[in-house]
Amino acid sequence: MNDWAFTLAIPGGAWAAAGLGLALAALLALTLLELRREPRPRRRWILGGLRVATALAAWVVAVQPRWVAERMEQSEGRLAVLVDASRSMSLPRDGDSRAARARALLARWAEARGEPVATFTYGERLSGAELPALAESLAPTEDQSRLAPALSTLLSQEEGHELGAVVVLGDGAGPDEVDPATLARHGVRVHAVATAEDDLRDDAVAEVQADPVGFLRRPARVRVVVRSVGGPGGPIPVTLRRGDEVEREVVAEVPADGEVAVEIPFTPTRLGREVYRVSIPRAPGDAVPENNERAFLVRVTRDKLRVLLVAGQPSWDERYLRAFLKRDPATDLISFFILRNTHDLTMAGPDELALIPFPTDELFNEHLGSFDLVIFQNFEYGPYQMASYLPRIRDYVLRGGSFAMIGGPLSFHSGGYAATPIAEILPVDLPPPGTPSTRTQVEDRFRPRISEGMARHPLLELLPTPSANAEAWARLAPLDGANVVSRVRPEGATLLEHPEHRMASGGPLPLLVLGTAGRGRTLALTTDTTWRWGITTGGQTGDASAYERFWDRVVRWLARDPALEPAQVTTDRERYGPGATVRIEAHLRDERYQPHGEEPVSFVIVDANGEPVAETRARTDREGRAEATAELPSRPGAYRVEARLSGREQAVAREWLIVEAGGDELADPRAAPARLRSLAEATGGTFFAEPEDAPALEELDTTRTRSLGTVERAPFASPWAFVLLVGLFVGEWVLRRRWGRR
Amino acid sequence: MGGNLSKPPRPDKRVPDELVRTAVTLVAGLVFAAAAPRVALAIGESSFFEVYAVEYSGGDPHPRPTAPYRLGWEVRKRTSIEVPLQHGGARLDDPAIYEHPFLYWSGDEAFDELSDAEIAGLRRFVRFGGFVLIDDAAPEQSGFDRSVRRALSRAFPDRPLRELSGNHTIYRSFYLLSRPEGRIRGPDHLEAIEIGDRVAVLYSRHDLGGAWARDNLGSWQHPVTPGGDEQRERAIRLGVNVVMYALCLDYKDDQVHAPFIMRRRGGSP
Repeated sequence: MNDWAFTLAIPGGAWAAAGLGLALAALLALTLLELRREPRPRRRWILGGLRVATALAAWVVAVQPRWVAERMEQSEGRLAVLVDASRSMSLPRDGDSRAARARALLARWAEARGEPVATFTYGERLSGAELPALAESLAPTEDQSRLAPALSTLLSQEEGHELGAVVVLGDGAGPDEVDPATLARHGVRVHAVATAEDDLRDDAVAEVQADPVGFLRRPARVRVVVRSVGGPGGPIPVTLRRGDEVEREVVAEVPADGEVAVEIPFTPTRLGREVYRVSIPRAPGDAVPENNERAFLVRVTRDKLRVLLVAGQPSWDERYLRAFLKRDPATDLISFFILRNTHDLTMAGPDELALIPFPTDELFNEHLGSFDLVIFQNFEYGPYQMASYLPRIRDYVLRGGSFAMIGGPLSFHSGGYAATPIAEILPVDLPPPGTPSTRTQVEDRFRPRISEGMARHPLLELLPTPSANAEAWARLAPLDGANVVSRVRPEGATLLEHPEHRMASGGPLPLLVLGTAGRGRTLALTTDTTWRWGITTGGQTGDASAYERFWDRVVRWLARDPALEPAQVTTDRERYGPGATVRIEAHLRDERYQPHGEEPVSFVIVDANGEPVAETRARTDREGRAEATAELPSRPGAYRVEARLSGREQAVAREWLIVEAGGDELADPRAAPARLRSLAEATGGTFFAEPEDAPALEELDTTRTRSLGTVERAPFASPWAFVLLVGLFVGEWVLRRRWGRR
Repeated sequence: MGGNLSKPPRPDKRVPDELVRTAVTLVAGLVFAAAAPRVALAIGESSFFEVYAVEYSGGDPHPRPTAPYRLGWEVRKRTSIEVPLQHGGARLDDPAIYEHPFLYWSGDEAFDELSDAEIAGLRRFVRFGGFVLIDDAAPEQSGFDRSVRRALSRAFPDRPLRELSGNHTIYRSFYLLSRPEGRIRGPDHLEAIEIGDRVAVLYSRHDLGGAWARDNLGSWQHPVTPGGDEQRERAIRLGVNVVMYALCLDYKDDQVHAPFIMRRRGGSP
C-alpha cells in the first residue's frame, strides 16, 4: 500500500468546502451572539458547545472527506535489453564510437550472463537480436531512433509480459519523449546506460523546409536552420546548389550553442524533378561533417496549365468549353476562333472590324512548345496555310505535349486531316481522302454508351459509386451527330461509343478515344454537342455539374495530373540515410485503367545517370497492387524507384527519393543523457552515465511493481454520520425548549 | 425616351402581286445559293446557332416577324457562324428553350405578367449559360418596357438592369461600334444583367428588329431615323456583335491579353 491521499467528495473540491465552512461559521457566530442573553454560564456553555458540534458535523457530512490509497504488488519480473542501432551511435566518443562503447558493454554482459536475456535493437522500429551476436556486430544503420514506439511495441509483445525492467543502452538522441506513466502502468522500470555525454562540437544544417512543388520561373524559398553546438558560433556561409551549380549563397549568424533560420530564395528554371542541396563548410573540430549538407526535391511545374484552344467557328460547343476553361483559375487560356472566312461578306473595311489575322506562325511556330495542351475544336486547317505547321504539332505531341481534337463539320476527316501528320498522332484512323461527307458524318440524336470495361475509368467517373455514376450518365441530354472514323488504333482506348452506328471495320462508332503518341497524350472526341450537358441537361434536371466534371477530368488527364495516372509508385519517405531500407508500394494499371493483376513486377533503384543500382521483385494482386522493400545504396544522391513489368522496356511508374549522408538522424547528433536519466528516475530505475559504470545484468533491479487497484476510506459517508448530525441538532433543540429558550 | 407616342410602323401587308414577288424572291435565292461557294456544314441540328423567339401572352411577341430570320441571315452572310434559315420560338416555361441558348424577346406593348413557371424558366435558362436579347420594338412607348422590367425584377431581384459601359466587349466582338442604334437612335447605352462576368440578359430600347426587318422581296420594312441606311447598317452590325458575344463572350479581351501572356511563357513540353 502506498501513502494515503486525502480528497473531498463535494463538487468544487476545497473551494466549495471553504465557502461552505465560512457560511456555517457566520451562521454559528450569529447564534452564539444570541446565547449571550442566557444568564446561567453552564447552560450557555452546553448549548454553545452543541451548536458548534452540530455545525462541524454538518460541514463534515457535506464535504465528505475521504482517504485513498493504492494497493501495490511487487514480484520478480523479467529483463529486456534495448540497444540503440541508429546512425547517431556511429559518432565518435573518446576516440571510439558510441556503438563501440556499447558493444564493449554488451560483450561484458554476454560473457557474464548465464541464461539468455531478451535483447532488441531499436531504430525506426523494434527488432529482435541476440546479445552475443549484438556484442560482435552492432551496426548503427537505422535512419531514426524511436525509443518510445519501440517500448510500446515491446510491452505489447509476448516478451513484454511479466517484464520487470528494461535496460536501454544508447545516446538518448531521438525525436520522441517517452511517457513514464505508460511504463509505470505495466510495472516496468527503466535502467538507462548512456553511451555519450552531450559535449559534441558540431555545425549542422539541422533542418530544410521547402515546398515540394515549385513553379517554373517563379521565385521560391527554402528555409534552412543552421545549428552550432560546442563551438563559438558566428557567421557561417550557407550555399544552395542545384546539381553542381551554385544557385545562391547567404551568411547565417549563428549564436554559440544555438541555431538560426535563414531563408534562401531561388527560382526554378527547368521543368521536372530537381535536386537542390544546402551545405555549410566544415569547421575545425566539427565532429559530424555528414550533417553539413542536406538535400531536397522540388517538382517543378508551371504555375498554370497553358491551353491553346483553336476553333473553326463560333458555336455553342466552343462557347461552353471556353467558358469552362476561363473559369478555372489554374488555367492560362489562349483561344483563337475563326470569326470570318474569305467568302463571308462583312460589308465593312478592315478598320471597322475588330478582327486580327490568324497568328499561325506565332501560335504554331514561336509559342507552340509553351503550351501544355492544344485543342482543335471543329477546326479545319486548309484555308489558313497551316499545312507546314502540322508536322510541328505532331512533333510537339511526340515530345510530350497533349493534343485533343473535338468533332464537328470542320473536324477529323471533314477538316481534311486524313493522311496528314495530325492523323499520325490521333488515336483513331480517318477515312481516306476523298470519302464523301455522307460517309464521314452521322447526324442523328443519340445517347452515348460507355464502352465495355470502361465504367471505372476516371474520365467517366461523374459520381464516385458505380450505380450513381450510371444514373448520372443516363440523365445527360442526348448528343447530336458525330464524325465517322474508320478504326480505333491499337494503342487507343475507347471510352464512349455510338449506340447504333458502327465503323466500316465493324466495331461500334467511337465517340471518345484516348491515346498516346510518343511521349504525348491525345484525345479524340467526335461530337460537337457536349455543350448540351451544360444548358440542356441543366435546364431539364437542375444540375449541369456533369458537364464541368467531365471536362475537368478530360483536361486533367491530358495535362497528366498525377492523381489520374493509371500507374503509381510511392515510397514510405522522401529522404533516407545511406543503406537504408525503402518500403515501396505500387498500384499498377494500364492506359485503359485495367489493373496489371497477378503479374511479376520488379522495382529498380536507378541513380541520377539512369544506371540501375538495386532491384527487388514482387507480384501484383488482382487489383494491381504490390509491395516490396529494397536496400538503398550508401552513396548520397537522388535516385528514383521504377516499376517495371516483364516484357516492357519502359518503366510504367516511377518515384524519386534522396539518400543523404546525414539526414534527420544526424541533423541533431548531440547525445541526450539527461533524457535517459529522467526516464530512469521517473520509472524507479537506475541511470549510468558511462557504460563502464553499468553493473552485470543480474545486479539490476527487476522487481515488478504492479497496482492491484485503489482502497478508499470515507468515514463520513455512512448513515451513522447523518444520524449523529441529526442527534446533535435534536439534543440542542430539546435542551433549548426545556430551558425555556426559543 | 423620345418624342413620338404613336404606334410604331408595322409592315404594310397590302402588297399587290405578292405571289409574283415571292416567286421572284425564291428564284433569286436559288440563283444566289447555287453561286455561293459556301456549303452549309453541320452535324445534327445542335451544331447550328439559332435565333429562338420568346413567346408570351397578352401582347404581340412578334412585332417584327422577320427580324429573327434577318438577324440569322446577316450573321450567316457576314461571319463564319452557321445559322439555319429558319427560326422557332417557345414560352419561357417550355423546356425547348434549353435546346436553344440564344433567345430573342421582342414586343411593342405591355404583356401579361409572366407566370411563376415562366419566371423560374427564365432564371434557370440564364443560370445554365443561356443568353437573352430583349428588343423593345416600341421604345417611343412605355408598355413593353414596364412589362419587361417587372418580369426581370421578379426573375433577378438581386441583379437589376445596369447600363452597359461604352467599352464593353459587345461593341467590339466583331465590328467596332461606338454606341447602340436601331430603328431609332435611342439612348446611348444598352442595359444588361450580368451573371458573374458575362452579360446574360441584354436589353435594347432601339428597336433593333425594326432596322433588320425586310419583306419577302428584300425591301426594308421600316424607315430608320435619323441616320437612314448608315444607321441601319450600324444596327445590323450591332446584331452581329451581340450574336458573336453570346457565342464568344469576352474572347476579344483575350486578344488584348494574349501578347502579355505569351511573353510570360517559356520552355518546352
